[in-house]
Order: sequence, then structure tokens, then C-alpha cells
Amino acid sequence: MTDFSQALTVATSGMRAQAQRLRYVSENIANTDTPGYHRKTVSFEEEIDQGRTSGAVTTGPMRLDQSELETMYDPSHPLADSNGNYQGTNVNLLLEIADAREAQRSYEANLKMFDQIRQMQQGLMDLLRK
Amino acid sequence: MYESLDIFRTAAAMARHAGARQAVVAGNIANADTPGYRARAIAPFSQAYAPDSSQVMRSTRPGHVQPDFSPAAARPELTDEEPSPNGNSVSLETEMLNGVEVAREHSRALAIYKHALGILRTSLGR
Repeated sequence: MTDFSQALTVATSGMRAQAQRLRYVSENIANTDTPGYHRKTVSFEEEIDQGRTSGAVTTGPMRLDQSELETMYDPSHPLADSNGNYQGTNVNLLLEIADAREAQRSYEANLKMFDQIRQMQQGLMDLLRK
Repeated sequence: MYESLDIFRTAAAMARHAGARQAVVAGNIANADTPGYRARAIAPFSQAYAPDSSQVMRSTRPGHVQPDFSPAAARPELTDEEPSPNGNSVSLETEMLNGVEVAREHSRALAIYKHALGILRTSLGR
């Protein structure tokens, strides 16, 4: 029984982590046109519980991508400097979409696992019922 | 009669083994995107159950006692799959396959348990 409840917790942690990642991806996509916006990234790490890895996953601290911002030329822009350039964002839409896809794939895998564990648990309960 | 209760012990051990294995698979899938994570796996029940041939004693008479065999504690071990560039060696496809295999193993164990229970009930006349 403990194996099952632990497995359910682990699968849930995976879903939570992927959802968090998807949130940052959507923030990045929403801010594709915000001048001076650095894209947000988050990394995953194993959860440590009382000095031991519990098997669950957790998200690390959010980091800003420090790669160079795109320079845009538009003299009429309010933020333009004397040369008519201003700093855009370093969000790459293609990258974000790929990231979102990967997150979705992993989320679905976790969800499937959750369902499978639940079914196994259900089988055990059916045995008791009869 | 009582020696057939072994079937319950085996079925229960198999179901427990499947549960432990499923927990490991869930951990792998949850960490499918964790950099540096190495995939873990528990050996299938047939391997865990098979007695080590070097430790089996020969019994040539009915009076010879065989050591009581119980499956070794299922311990997850690191697999040796090629890690991806970020050091993660989880393959979602392999894990899905393992998950389905484990679920089937579990339902098989439960079916055996259920039917053995049915036979026991029938023999009691209930």
C-alpha cells in the first residue's frame, strides 16, 4: 500500500513540475514583445527528503536566461537610444514551443502512470470487496 | 491442504513486487527531464523469484527439508542506458513499456489470488 501511495505522490510531483515549467513557457511567450525581457528558465532536480532522495521531482529556482537581448532598430520607439536602437527580448518562440511540447509529453506520461497505479490499487480493493 | 497456501504467498509477493516496481517506474517518469538523473529499475519477478541454483540443496527423500525460499528484497538498481547530453538516462518509451508490464503482472497476481480464494471457499462449502 505504501508503495502505491508513494508512487502516486511521485507521479503527482512530476505533473506539478511539468505544469510549473509550462507556466514559465507561457510567461515567456506572452512577453515576446516586451522590451528588455529576459526569458525565464527553470530546471528540475530530485527532491531530497531528510537527506535521501525520495524519487520525486521538484523544480529548482527560476533563472533568467542571460544571453544577449535582441537589438531592434526603430527610431520612433520611446525606448530608442540616440542611434535609434532599443533592446528587445531574447525569447525564441521556436524554442518555447518545443519546450512546451516536451513538457506536455512528460505531463501525459506522468498522468498515464498515475492512472495505471490507481487501477492497480483498485484491483487490490476489488479483492477485498468480494 | 496447508501447503497449497504457498500460492497465496507467491501471489502476494508478486503483487508486492509489482507495486515496488511501479513506484520505481513512476520515479523515473517523474524525473524524465531532470538533468543528471540516472534511470533505475527493479529486476522482473521471475528473476527475483528464481532460486539461485548454487544455493539449492538436493532432496532425495521426503524427509529432507528444503530451505524456505522467499524472494530477495527488491532493490532498485541503476540501468546502463546511454544518457542524453544533460546526463539523464530515462527513456520514456522503455518506462511506459515497463509500466504496462508491471500493471499486467499485478493484475495476474491478483487474479491468481482471487481464484485460489475461490477454490478455498468452494472446498469449505461456502
